[in-house]
Amino acid sequence: MSDTDNPVPVDPRLLEILVCPLTKTPLTYDRARNELVSRAAGLAYPIRDGIPIMLPEEARPLDED
Amino acid sequence: MTDNPPASRAGDVIDFGFRQVPKDAKKPLVRAVFDSVAPRYDLMNDLMSLGIHRAWKRVFITALDPRPRRSLLDLAGGTGDISFGWLAGGGGPAILSDINAAMLSVGRDRALARGFAAGLSFLAADAERLPLPDRSVDTVSMAFGLRNCTDKPAVLAEARRVLKPGGRFLCLEFSRVQVAALVPLYDAWSFQVLPRLGQAIAGDADSYQYLAESIRMFPDQETLAAMMRDAGLSQVRVRNLSGGIAAIHSGWRL
Repeated sequence: MSDTDNPVPVDPRLLEILVCPLTKTPLTYDRARNELVSRAAGLAYPIRDGIPIMLPEEARPLDED
Repeated sequence: MTDNPPASRAGDVIDFGFRQVPKDAKKPLVRAVFDSVAPRYDLMNDLMSLGIHRAWKRVFITALDPRPRRSLLDLAGGTGDISFGWLAGGGGPAILSDINAAMLSVGRDRALARGFAAGLSFLAADAERLPLPDRSVDTVSMAFGLRNCTDKPAVLAEARRVLKPGGRFLCLEFSRVQVAALVPLYDAWSFQVLPRLGQAIAGDADSYQYLAESIRMFPDQETLAAMMRDAGLSQVRVRNLSGGIAAIHSGWRL
């Protein structure tokens, strides 16, 4: 589709409304890691090719920091 | 109620086609089926249904009643037919959601090719655990998806949860044939022809055997209608298509 290395931007409309599928609480967008972070669930959901992957089994557990 | 359906014992196994598998195993098994069939899914649908699925989807899209100020959540939207039809019919913003990223990639390529990029968002989500707030969409659709879900009551409850009051859920799915004369032909088609087509076209007879079996394990018209009422949907209606080979169920969140 594209030869550039730029990640496909995530849909701003989705960014606005998505919640954590487990806790139904708001998410924060980590632009640097391109992840949607649920503090409540302790999970970071990846965005691949511009598509938010809101599946707990594919999410990264947050480090204890 | 004490009468458990014979297929489920103690709730820890579930149908995967005609087999019983541990509940935890169904999701990865279904995922493997769709990973395998994704690149040829559209072609296979045409062959499997002799193109009839296109007519069913047209009827379904009309039933969705697309309007510019209404939003759509298209569950198990796969390669995009329902979302595209909604947008082409003048519907408002659509979210094409599927648990399978391989299906969504095919859907996005098709959307770009057809110029449907505006008004369409792509989302990988599990219909049993939707990442959307309560009362956030006007219409929720699910075409040929509910069959593949492990916890169908959870899907229906989630659909109701995300609907705005006054919003509607519609499901297009294979159902129980209502015309006796059709049954032998339909059986032969499903279990003799279909898996061979799957082998010949997609190199994967097992996945298509699963698809044929899963159709037979799916709740019939009345059972699904009752499940929708149990999930809190109102004024549930059923419309048979092609003699009940498929059916459209609809219900409102009031």
